[in-house]
Amino acid sequence: MFENSSQLLFILGSIVFISGVSLHLVKKNFLAVCLYIFQSLAIGALLLLSLFSNFSVLLLLAVICTIVVKGIIAPFFFTKLIKKNQLQFSASTYLNTPLTLLSVALIVMIVRIIFLKALTSFDEVSSDLLLLSLASIFVSVFVLINRKGALSQILGVLSLENSIVSFALFAGLEQSPALQFGITFNILVWVLISSVFVTLIYKQFGTLDVTSMKKLIE
Amino acid sequence: MFLLALIISPLLATALCFFVKKRTGLLEFFTIVASTVELVAGFFIFFQVVANGNYFFEPYFIVDSLSTLVMLTTVVVGLAAAVYSVGYLRVEADKHYVNFAQIKLYYLLFNLFIAAMLLAVATVNPIFTWIMIEATTLSTTFLIRFYNKAATIEAAWKFLILNSIGLLLGFFGSMLFFTSVTGAGINNFISWQILLNNAVHLNPLIAKIAFIFVIVGYGTKAGFVPMHTWKPDAYNKAPFPVAALFSGPLLNVALLTILRYKFIVDAAIGSSFAQNLMIFFGIISIVVPAFIILVQRNYKRLFAYSSIEHVGIMALGFGFGGVGTIFALVHMIYHSLAKSILFLSSGNIMLKYGSTKIFNVKGVFSLLPVTSIMFLVGVLAITGVPPFGIFISEFNILSAGIGNFWYIVVLAMIALVLVFIGFLKRAVDMLFGQPADGLVKGEASMYTVLPVVVLVVMLLVGSFYLPQSIWALIHSAAAAIN
Repeated sequence: MFENSSQLLFILGSIVFISGVSLHLVKKNFLAVCLYIFQSLAIGALLLLSLFSNFSVLLLLAVICTIVVKGIIAPFFFTKLIKKNQLQFSASTYLNTPLTLLSVALIVMIVRIIFLKALTSFDEVSSDLLLLSLASIFVSVFVLINRKGALSQILGVLSLENSIVSFALFAGLEQSPALQFGITFNILVWVLISSVFVTLIYKQFGTLDVTSMKKLIE
Repeated sequence: MFLLALIISPLLATALCFFVKKRTGLLEFFTIVASTVELVAGFFIFFQVVANGNYFFEPYFIVDSLSTLVMLTTVVVGLAAAVYSVGYLRVEADKHYVNFAQIKLYYLLFNLFIAAMLLAVATVNPIFTWIMIEATTLSTTFLIRFYNKAATIEAAWKFLILNSIGLLLGFFGSMLFFTSVTGAGINNFISWQILLNNAVHLNPLIAKIAFIFVIVGYGTKAGFVPMHTWKPDAYNKAPFPVAALFSGPLLNVALLTILRYKFIVDAAIGSSFAQNLMIFFGIISIVVPAFIILVQRNYKRLFAYSSIEHVGIMALGFGFGGVGTIFALVHMIYHSLAKSILFLSSGNIMLKYGSTKIFNVKGVFSLLPVTSIMFLVGVLAITGVPPFGIFISEFNILSAGIGNFWYIVVLAMIALVLVFIGFLKRAVDMLFGQPADGLVKGEASMYTVLPVVVLVVMLLVGSFYLPQSIWALIHSAAAAIN
């Protein structure tokens, strides 16, 4: 479906991947949100590209909804949270920066080893793009493991979702517009609920560092 | 028509609860009426499925024998939990632990939670199933945070993040399964059946990787070890009727989804891969909680670990196959009933003692005689004491594996003995002894007793006699799985 646009696709796939890696490194919450916007816009561009080959009004609406939710509404909520609670700096990571980068490199290597054989049914360009998406998926999971901040964890979940969408698009697994609306609505509700919880956590614990939450230990 | 009634009634109740102002009675009324409609519609669908093999509302919803079993446990436990909620929340409101806004939110999300589970069961589309299971996470996060304390917020956050990650991995696994139907086009509504029909086109390695993601993803929701860590905290902090729904219907919905993908992966690469994976997750989900149950000091967490152990037993049954599959399905029914009895009867204990710590609960027999009997029935049933149905199902599941997996069966039996010892010791500690001064004898209300009595009667009768129609359904579902 993406014939003759492999260069552009590779750039967009790389943006998704690099944004995921950068989420490990940024110290400021606002920068992390910017990275998420950047990543979401890349996903929006991929969705628009897929629209050119399968145009329908419903699909166009679904794509617009996805871009609005991921690129505008979610970041709006997060920046509002940051400003309201003055959460300029995110909580730290469990691993320091060199070890984090080393782990990311290891993840990419393992993904390539495990999945390369499985992707033989796809052509060379597609399998490269799929490997990039798979690496993004696992790097996003690592964001969730490595970062201590609640907001970073939310962005990690959303980055994971973006990476899976990029995988689906590169593999030619677009869903029907109705399902895309459903998935986007789910993300919207998830963003709203997680934002409420970030506020609750900050009010209750005075920090977004999840390691400070120890009330469940009996 | 019955399928529409089943799905629309909880959604309608949610909408109606949203518009209620200041009248708790209306919230209770809408919820109980909706749950009753679901039960009636559920039984009509059940008879249709027994007669015709399935029941559908084309092209989006279809209920087969396997989903009917899950649907039945959902509507039965759903009605019991709805009635129980009335009594439970009235007592909590009288003590000023909750206000009207909290009660309104409770009923609203309760109905939404039921609707999401029923939709996940009935839909023909795997992605819509995922959306609905994710909706169960979103609707219940605020129910776990219901009491608005630091610990409830922490438990809800843990629940939200872990389940979201799990479900996204499950979503990714689903996407990998979709690679067998590439080129179907965006307007094609890909159903479970289409995936099954195209299973032969699935790359074997992708099929394996996809099923690993599915079992890890949806297994997080089901509570397989090591993805179970949200369970004890979420069960402990959620209101008791919600914990009953978590432990029975929600667990079954997650298992149903895993089984649906098992059909596909079996068709693609044969049954041994999925079976071995089910056995692996099954046995670790039995053994790990067994040791924790032995030293558990909180009865709600005890039941949560017991749920993990029982999902492990079911997974073991599905892994062993044959008779194991049949009795894993039987186990699903008995476990839903027994665990609901335990959660709801222990809710009465909580209302009386105000604590979920076993140390603080003594002499329940003298203060809550009816609840005590029901609680004891629940404990004996859940630990697999004969003549309760769980004994029969566990015995048959383990018998199914003794030939090829005797070492797994031995491990499981040791774990089950540990669970029995742990449960019995805690139950004796709670039921007997001298209660603290100042506690008055008597049950909270009929609403908190009647649903549990009905569940106990169903469990007792069902342990000795399961109707032929239910057996027909179980055999038909097992044939599909095997």
